[in-house]
Amino acid sequence: MQVLDKTQVEAISRALKEPGWVLEKRLKALEAFARLPYPSKKDENWRYTDLSEAPLEQEVETPKGLSLSRDELPELVKRRLEKTDVSGFLVFVGPDLVYAEVPEELSAKGLVFTSLAEALKTHPGKVEATLFRGVYVEDKFAAENSAFFTHGAFLYVPAGLEVEKPLGVFKVLEGGKASAGRSLIFLEDNAKAAYIEEYLSLDLPPTLHLSATEMVLRPGAKLRHAHVQTFGEGVWHFHRQRALLERDAALNDLVVNLGGRYARSEVASELLGPGAESEMLGLYFGHGLQHFDHYTLQHHVEHHTRSDLLYKGAVKDEARAVFSGLIKLERGAQKTDAYQANRNLILSPTARVDSIPQLEIGANNVRCTHGSTTAPVDEVQLFYLQSRGLPRSLAQELLVKAHLADVLNRIPLKALRAHLEAVIEEKVRI
Amino acid sequence: MNQLEIRDLWASIDGETILKGVNLVVPKGQVHALMGPNGAGKSTLGKILAGDPEYTVEQGDILLDGESILDLSPDERARKGLFLAFQYPVEVPGVTIANFLRLALQAKLGREVGVAEFWAKVKRALELLDWDEGYLSRYLNEGFSGGEKKRNEILQLLVLEPAYAVLDETDSGLDIDALKVVARGVNAMRGPSFGALVITHYQRLLNYIVPDRVHVMMDGRIVAEGGPELALELEAKGYEWLRERVKEEA
Repeated sequence: MQVLDKTQVEAISRALKEPGWVLEKRLKALEAFARLPYPSKKDENWRYTDLSEAPLEQEVETPKGLSLSRDELPELVKRRLEKTDVSGFLVFVGPDLVYAEVPEELSAKGLVFTSLAEALKTHPGKVEATLFRGVYVEDKFAAENSAFFTHGAFLYVPAGLEVEKPLGVFKVLEGGKASAGRSLIFLEDNAKAAYIEEYLSLDLPPTLHLSATEMVLRPGAKLRHAHVQTFGEGVWHFHRQRALLERDAALNDLVVNLGGRYARSEVASELLGPGAESEMLGLYFGHGLQHFDHYTLQHHVEHHTRSDLLYKGAVKDEARAVFSGLIKLERGAQKTDAYQANRNLILSPTARVDSIPQLEIGANNVRCTHGSTTAPVDEVQLFYLQSRGLPRSLAQELLVKAHLADVLNRIPLKALRAHLEAVIEEKVRI
Repeated sequence: MNQLEIRDLWASIDGETILKGVNLVVPKGQVHALMGPNGAGKSTLGKILAGDPEYTVEQGDILLDGESILDLSPDERARKGLFLAFQYPVEVPGVTIANFLRLALQAKLGREVGVAEFWAKVKRALELLDWDEGYLSRYLNEGFSGGEKKRNEILQLLVLEPAYAVLDETDSGLDIDALKVVARGVNAMRGPSFGALVITHYQRLLNYIVPDRVHVMMDGRIVAEGGPELALELEAKGYEWLRERVKEEA
């Protein structure tokens, strides 16, 4: 039986034929992983989270070198491909990149969209300049990912290239073993792209999943990014992402948690240059025993930056959700515009939400607002809808969708929006 | 038995009794007016008919075509053909009128309603109300003026075509043009298969929707009934003389 140790890190690195510097970084991350304790309720950022049933020390899968034809792709992926916004995509099954489809004309223009392992061979300089800059050893799970990741996607968009159609990654989790993967997105000056990562699985035995997304946006770059998690039951999903935004760069970010047993998303936007702006949207809907944590950071480092966060969610049954959002303004961050709102709908007396908006302001000439609401479904609205013949369950479904509508309406990706609406509908009816 | 019948209805909210033995019958094919001073219990009656869970019915019955609907949920009552035009229509951001109305129509008919069929119905209603198609993609009553909200209630009435409608002070807050439009909508519904109870404080609306009968409510019960002329009399004399008369009778 494999354990979470140096031998396995080396085996993964060897299987992926990685250059020496990556192995070194992995081993350093392993040291941090070994040193850091697992979080507990005594830690401020974990105080609402019960990890006692999480498969924390689960064996990590190693690359198998599997590859598939488009016909052989898992049904879950095929179904998603029937209606999708993406024009090019990578498919990961378990630890492996099994399929890739990237439009020729984009590659001809210098765009790179491939597995991280492949990019390390073909574009080592670009990867070395960016990998681990966003997510490395920030906590136990980040360190575990950095040491043990078996697969990843790399998107590079050269200066000035504007890609209208989104590119995407589909990750199918097989279950039973821990799985770790990454996305690295690097947009050069004034480049523009959209990137959707989708996480899928059937219902699984307890399974640990780690994902990390790093985004480097050079001056004037514009990225739309979506992280969409619709795992089946049994999955414990730990996601961390960080975007580095230089002068006038813009990010439109979306994090969606609908599946799994537990999902935690730690989402940070670092506004490092004047004119940078970050829209951060979040959507979640928990049922059964699901528990979703969202920890967000709007970090205004430079002056004249803007961030606008809206996270909306609903919980029913015994589901729980935590939102903890921090707007942090450094001393030089004058003329900052920062907004943060978290809105929650509670559909049952046994569901629970903890919402903690926070401000840390080191500058005086700024505009910051934040707010949070958590409320049950409005009985007056329910009565109105019912009085027109809608059964209570349908009325409730309508109100949940209505609650989430203003986030959905801000997603200009039509197929993704329709997909999310369908998943939400299904969840309301469970 | 084709009638909406309210039989000795007693009801309360938060321990306070509002309706104290209401008796009222609206036969199908007729439009009746329910008048009365503020606080008489008119709106309470409307809400109770629709099944508002805020209120407790203590005694009596409500019968729709001879069948008690007291134990039915608001949506079941609606599907049986009862419609309440709200005095204060509720804002529901995130739900478009079109989406809502189609779902409501499907719920009422108990079958899928195709887009073409739906649009044909809605278009006719919009024309009658002199209303812009653009409203259909707006969220239900969100940011609507008082007049727009009332017009939206009548739009729903026209599309859902209930057997019985209760219009709760649909005239309040309307200017004369809006009032005419609302009346046009209600009058278009008139016919042998439609009965309505028009709740109003003033006689004004009844110039445009001429009722077959007028009932007057005070202190939670019906105290007078008559033809359309009763409404005019109330308009001229106010409610006080009636109150005096009720006192004397007691």
